[in-house]
Order: sequence, then C-alpha cells, then structure tokens
Amino acid sequence: MLTFVGLGLYDESSITVEGRDAIADADDGAVFAEFYTSHLVGADVADIEAYHGVEVDVRDRAGVEQEPAPIFDAAESGDAVFLTAGDTMISTTHVDLRLRAHERGIETRVIHAPTAESAASSLTGLQNYRFGKATTLPFEWAHGADVVPGSVTETIEDNRARGLHTLCYLDIKVGRGPEGADPDFEEYMSADYAAGLLAEAWDPDALGVVVARAGSPDPTVRADRLAALADADFGDPLHMLIVPGDLHHVEAEALRGLAGAPADLTTAE
Amino acid sequence: MGRRKKIVEQCERLMDEPENIRNIAIAAHVDHGKTTLTDNLLAGAGMISDETAGEQLAMDTEEDEQERGITIDAANVSMTHEYDGTNHLVNLIDTPGHVDFGGDVTRAMRAVDGALVVVDAVEGAMPQTETVVRQALREGVKPALFINKVDRLISELQEGPEEMQKRLLGVINEVNELIRGMTDEMDDIDDWTVSVEDGTVGFGSALYKWGVSMPSMQRTGMDFGDIMELERNDERQELHERTPLSDVVLDMVCEHFPDPIEAQPRRIPRIWRGDDESDIAESMRLVDEDGEVVLMVTDIGVDPHAGEIAAGRVFSGTLEKGQDLYVSGTAGTNRVQSVGIYMGGEREEVEHVPAGNIAAVTGLKDAIAGSTVSSTEMTPFESIEHISEPVITKSVEAKNMDDLPKLIETLQQVAKEDPTIRIEINEDTGEHLISGQGELHLEVITQRIERNQGIPVNTGEPIVVYREAPTQESREVEGRSPNNHNRFYITVEPLGEDIVEKIKLGDVSMDMPEQERREALQEAGMDKDTSQNVEEIHNTNVFIDDTKGIQHLNETMELVNEGLQEALDDGPLAAEPVQGALIRLHDARLHEDAIHRGPAQVIPAVRQAVHNALIDAEIKLLEPIQDVRIDVPTEHMGAASGEIQGRRGRVDDMYQEGDLMVVEGIAPVDEMIGFSSDIRSATEGRASWNTENAGFRVLSDNMQREIITEIRERKGMKTELPEAVDYF
Repeated sequence: MLTFVGLGLYDESSITVEGRDAIADADDGAVFAEFYTSHLVGADVADIEAYHGVEVDVRDRAGVEQEPAPIFDAAESGDAVFLTAGDTMISTTHVDLRLRAHERGIETRVIHAPTAESAASSLTGLQNYRFGKATTLPFEWAHGADVVPGSVTETIEDNRARGLHTLCYLDIKVGRGPEGADPDFEEYMSADYAAGLLAEAWDPDALGVVVARAGSPDPTVRADRLAALADADFGDPLHMLIVPGDLHHVEAEALRGLAGAPADLTTAE
Repeated sequence: MGRRKKIVEQCERLMDEPENIRNIAIAAHVDHGKTTLTDNLLAGAGMISDETAGEQLAMDTEEDEQERGITIDAANVSMTHEYDGTNHLVNLIDTPGHVDFGGDVTRAMRAVDGALVVVDAVEGAMPQTETVVRQALREGVKPALFINKVDRLISELQEGPEEMQKRLLGVINEVNELIRGMTDEMDDIDDWTVSVEDGTVGFGSALYKWGVSMPSMQRTGMDFGDIMELERNDERQELHERTPLSDVVLDMVCEHFPDPIEAQPRRIPRIWRGDDESDIAESMRLVDEDGEVVLMVTDIGVDPHAGEIAAGRVFSGTLEKGQDLYVSGTAGTNRVQSVGIYMGGEREEVEHVPAGNIAAVTGLKDAIAGSTVSSTEMTPFESIEHISEPVITKSVEAKNMDDLPKLIETLQQVAKEDPTIRIEINEDTGEHLISGQGELHLEVITQRIERNQGIPVNTGEPIVVYREAPTQESREVEGRSPNNHNRFYITVEPLGEDIVEKIKLGDVSMDMPEQERREALQEAGMDKDTSQNVEEIHNTNVFIDDTKGIQHLNETMELVNEGLQEALDDGPLAAEPVQGALIRLHDARLHEDAIHRGPAQVIPAVRQAVHNALIDAEIKLLEPIQDVRIDVPTEHMGAASGEIQGRRGRVDDMYQEGDLMVVEGIAPVDEMIGFSSDIRSATEGRASWNTENAGFRVLSDNMQREIITEIRERKGMKTELPEAVDYF
C-alpha cells in the first residue's frame, strides 16, 4: 500500500490525525517525502522525524520522477507513505506517481490536509467558487520566455474576462539554481517581488491580494495596488498572490475589513 | 624626428584618403617565402634596415615562430609606398602557411581586399596554395601572383631560358586554373586570372631581394637575360639595387589591388548578410568615415602593457578613443581605450582610424577574433571559423595546483585569440581539454602556455575528435518529461550534403534574414514547407518546427532548443558532436502551468527524444580524415605509399612531377598521429609531405563498437550502449 499524506500548510502539527496514524503504521524505512514542489516553512525534516518518531527519506525531483523504484518496492512489500506539503495532489504532479504505482499493481490511498488553495479563500474572504484557473509565477531564469510568461498574464486576463479571481502560486527553487544543480540553493519568490513583476509586465494599478505564511500562527493578508504591494515587505515565506476579478459585495467588504484594501479599488458589482 | 615617427605621421595623413589605401594579405604554402618577402617590403618602406631584411623575420613576433622558422599567427603592419607620383598606405596582414593554422588565414582574408599569392618556383602550387587561394576568392579578395625563389632555377638547377619560361608559365597556369574554377560561377567577379602581360605576376628572389615584372622591366630597362646573367655571376647586390623586390611588389599592389572604395561595394554583400538597403549597408559600401562605426575583428593579441588588443578592418565610420561600442554576441558595450595602427610588431597609437583601414584597438574586452564591433546594434558579419573544425584534442593539466586559476585564464585567452581552438574547462578534475587543427597546432599552443605564462603543464596524448551522424530516416519518437506532463514527438533524418556544406561555409545561418535563408535552403535542395519552418541551426544540424498552433509552445521553445543542443553536443553513441541531422518536431503536449514545464522537465524530455530518434535513424560514428600528399624520390615511393595504406588509408594517385614522385591519398587523422617520424624513417628523410583536413567519414561498421567503447571508457561513461543500437 502506498499512502499519499498531506502535511498541511505550516509545521509538523499541521497534519491531520488520520495522516499521523498513517505515518505511525508505515514500515521502517518506508516513509518518503519530497519538498521540491512545496515546503513546510515552520518545520524542517528533523522536526518532522522527531514529531513522528520515524526516519524520513527525502527524495529530490529525480528521485521521485526518474527513480521512484525504492518507493514502489517498499509499497509493494508493505506499507509505505509519501509525504508532501499541503494536500498531496494539489499543485503537484504526483498523480503520475500514483498511476505508475497502479501499473505495478500497488494499492494507493490519499489522506488530505489543508492546502494553499483553501487557505487563499479562507483568509481573504474571496469565495472559492469564484476562482478561475490558477497559475504559477516562475523566476525569470527558470523558464525560457520573457520576464513574465505570456501564459501567466493570459490566465489572469481570461479569468477576469469572466469575472473570476486568479490564484498565483510563487516559484520555489530548492537544490537547483540559475547555474544548474546546487544543493545549497534555496529561494522563495516573495509576494512583493511577484507584484513587481506583474506591475511591470501587466498592470501596476490592478488590485492584488497577498497571503503570506498561510497556516502559521501569524499569517499576513494585505490588499492593494500591485505597484504598492511591490514596495512592501511581507516577511518570511511562503507567499501567494491573488489577482481578484469582479468582487461580490461581501468579498469587497472582506478585503477592506480583513486585508486593508483601499476603498476605491473594492467597488462591488 | 626619427624615421619611424615620420612614417607614422605619413600613415596618419594617408589614412584619410581611402583611394590611396591598399589592404592586402600575403598567402602561401608553408616555406614558400612569405615572411622573407614581407621583410623585403618593410625594408623597402624604410621600416627595417636593408641588411637585415631576409633574416630579421620582423613579422614572426612570437619567440617560437622565430625558432621554428614558420609563421604561426597572422600579424599586421602598415607601410607607405610611392607609386605613380602618389604616396600610398599599404596595410599588410601576414598569414601562416601551415595547414594547422588555417583559421588565421580565413580571418585575415576578411580584413583585406587583395591577396598576394606567393609560390615557390621550384615546388609550384601546393595543396596549401590551393586552400589559401580558395579562401581569398570566397571572401571576394582579388589575387595577384609572386613567384619566389627564381634564383634557385638559375643558380641551383642551372635552367636555361626556355626551361625556365616553361616552368614559370606552368606555375601561372596552375594558379589561373584554380582562380577560374572558383570564380566561374561568381557573378560579381569578371576575370581575375593573372598574367605577365597585365603585370599581375611578379618573379624574383625574396632571399636576395630582387624582383621583376613586365612593368618593372619597362621601367628599369632590364630584361630577363640581364637578370639571369647577374644572378649567375653572383652579383646579387647589384641586382637588388637595380631592381629591388619591394618596388616590384608594392607597385603591383598599388596598381592592381582595389582600394576600399572600389572593393567594399562588391565585398560587403559577399561577407555580410544584413539588410542591404539599410543605412549601415550603404555606409559600409561607401566607406563612409562619418557613418556608424563598424569594425570586423580578425585577431586578438596581448600586449604586456596595454593588455588585449583587437585588430581588424574598419568598414565604416571612424574609430576614436572613448567610443562605446557593441560587440556581437555579448550584451552591453565596451569603451575604446585607445586606437592605433601596426608598425611591424609594434603598435602606434593615433588619434583616429577611419573607414577602409586596419586598426588596433584596446578596451574591447568582450571581443574575440571574428567579432563584429559597432556603434549601433547590427547583424554581425557571418561567422568565419566554420571552415576549420577542430579534429584533435589534448588534455592540459597544471603541474602545480597554485597555477590552476592562471591556467584557466590563459586557456580562455587562447580561445579568444584563436577561435579555431576550443577549450573545455573542467574545474572538478582540473583536467582541461584543448581542441585544434592538428598535432602541431596544439603543441604550439601548449608551449606558449608554458613559456609565455610560465605555467608548467602536463599534457595527455592527442585524441581525435569524432562526430556522430544519422544514416537514415527515423520513425516518430516520443519524449516524455520526468513528471510525464509534457510530451514531444520528434523524427530525425540525414540532412542533404549540399545543405551541410552551405551551413559550414556560412551561406545559411540564423543570422541572415529569413527570406534569404529560406531561398538558400531551397536552392540546396530543401523543400519549401520545411525551409519555412526552420527554428534553429546548431552546428550543421537543422531543427524544424512542424507543429501548428500548440498553446504555450512559443514560450517553451527556448528550453526545447536547449534540450536539442544538449542532445546534439553530446551524441547518443559516445557523447561526440552530432552533425548533418535534420530534426523535426511534429507535435507536443504541454502542461498548463509554466512551472510544470520548466527546464528540469522540458530539457530532458527533448534530449531523450532526440537521442532515441537519432538511434532509430541508425546514427553512426564518423572520424576525421586528411588528404595526404607525399613528394618522394622514386626509390622510396613504395615505402611512402605503404605508409598511407598501412594507416587504413587509400592511395588515390601517383604521378611524376619533375624528378620526384607524388603520392596522393587520404587517411584517418587518428592513424596519422606520429606520421612525421614514421615517414621520415621509411624514406630515409627524403620525403616532404603535407596533410590537410578533409572533413569526416563514417567509420567502418566493424570498428564502430570498439571505438565507441574506447571513447565511452575514456569519458567515464558506462560502456554498454543503449539496447536499440543493434545495427553495426
């Protein structure tokens, strides 16, 4: 059995009780994790190991995508768990791993946890059924296009044309820098940097909503013009940026009340 | 005022009068006397003393050149010469004659408008003569002929007037045949054959400093009979005084070689692929000293005081200190620290250098030999190093760890000065690779590192550079990204030979306007649809994007190209460069979100797809081969041809020339390592020989596996080949 377990949003205690039980039930040496798609900011691997009393085998991208054999071997002969930050199938590509496990006749199970997507709604008051397609803003050096890939601004504009909000995930680069593989490399795109990119490539006067450290004891939520957000500092990672579409009157009130949005930018439909 | 200073002042005045400028190169087979001739010209122009000309070898500035007695790097010199009552400025670039240094010759030709071809009267036109004449004509450079060492015909071989005439006419015919063959199909060139009557042929002896031509005979009243008599009576000093070589040659240069105003309108379309209706094209055609600055860098030298010096031809505008200039292929600008001209081995700073001249510039730190430097961003001159691909590699290692940073710096400098050198720095092992044109080429470079930089190095055995090329059409192959969300569908087929040739010569490149590239490709046999979808040309491989309307592909294309280039730089068989492949992208599936189609996904997917397609196209290993010519007395002919045949070579022709037999054939470069000592002992030192790189040839099937395994072992790759490689 291969159990995909979400670790939640912030630290070792963000996991669900069900998830904790699944880790406790896993065989020795069969607890795997990856932190290249996202990352618990409030806990490192040692904290997680101490909390659950297990050893965790952290796999890099190649270790998951190209050489997943040790994970499958463990799952074939016993109970293995695969840990990721957030909810395990959101914003990650692990459905491929799950399908490959099925091809080998391995049973799988998914244990959910809070994820950035739900936090974005919960913290800002923007309603989850009014979100359109999400997108990721990559570091300039990490993709082959212009400063902001056309697909990012297209996504935002398509969503707004239909009155929908856009959740922008911000790039995380661990273990691979501009010069290639680099184990010490660790960079998280901050929301002010992202707002700056969008302000320049798209619209400096558009409304943006920053969500920083969702799931932690001190999350920050702030709404303002992209150009104004670009000049602010939102502290430690992880950050997200939402570009709202049309605002329902309750959403507008929430942004003013919870995120300090300027009144002139939050006129409801 | 010293004489030298006076000459500099004269040069400075003449620089502003393009109609009195001649930019020339002297090109010849090794040992045919080019450098000695140059010294004659310098002495004639008063730049070195008359007595030392012939021994001084002023242009051989590197210590190792003077020691070896051959010229290695092209050097530059300016001089003045009075012709027909007018003072002329002659800018001369000396070029090496040894085949291993061919890249320098090509680059020198770009900077000049006329080439004085020097041929030894006794040996006649040799393979390298042919190569340099070809290089000159390809660049639109007008030839004239000087037949050297005529003294040997008279004094040594004791030839009579008839015999001599026959021999000299023979040489002229040989050279003319070459010229005719090359220029027949060139619309912009009428008749560039040389003849005694026109005064485009001179004869003489660079060693004894005398020369003669039809115009000089008319001027001095000395006919060939007088000359033979003086030479035979050993009255060479008188001969020199009455009909000095430098006058004969420099008169010929001033009369028959075009000035920049005449040459540039013809040459610019030939050597520059930019828009011919643009202002900058106009300004280059007109040699406009008030236009935008355009400098084509042909050579990078190092001065212990001034640092790096870029030398090259100013095609437009006026170079001055303090200008901020763009360097092709790099971002931003470089500031000109000083401008100057060359006087022998030395550089003289001047206020400015206008269009039509050869300039020496400091401050262009990003420039390499071959760079286009300009005051506005422009299409660069087509790259010129294609003709000389490196065929041999040697590892270089610093003996002392402390020298490591300095060695890396020196190697990078070497590559900058000579683009036919390729450098691979490996900071992990400290064992760097240096690739070049031949054993001697690499030997000279490593000696320079040791001597000039004082870095003791260990070098490995020379290793041949191989290529990999597909031999048939592949099926469609799917490449998947590691996360499985991106897929690429690719085929490979061999690229037509004519197309490969055009790419090598720079007649097809990504730098040229699309329409022109399309036409050139169609002319070489590519069908119309394919030629419209060219996305990238990498080395001699062409990448075609046959997809239509795939979302996000345009913003992913750069990564696709990166994957493609990785796959082609390190082929699937032995990680040797791939050549002559036409790669088609038929379809692609891409993830919605940019982050899931980043470099870590797209590059390996494309690389793997290209490799699998290449294997399906039965990719094979190619080895470099050389044309070999051996001149040997009849009794050693058997031994000489045996030396070729014993090296997996093939003898193509054997014929008599004078009292010697000539053996011509081809042999693999790999087998030619160590040839010079073997042929010497096989023929008791009586053979003279010449080799020239002749491209790559598919290695025979029964050797493929063995050589591939050898290379893989050397590179530390796993020795087993992919299973699909089952066709040897």
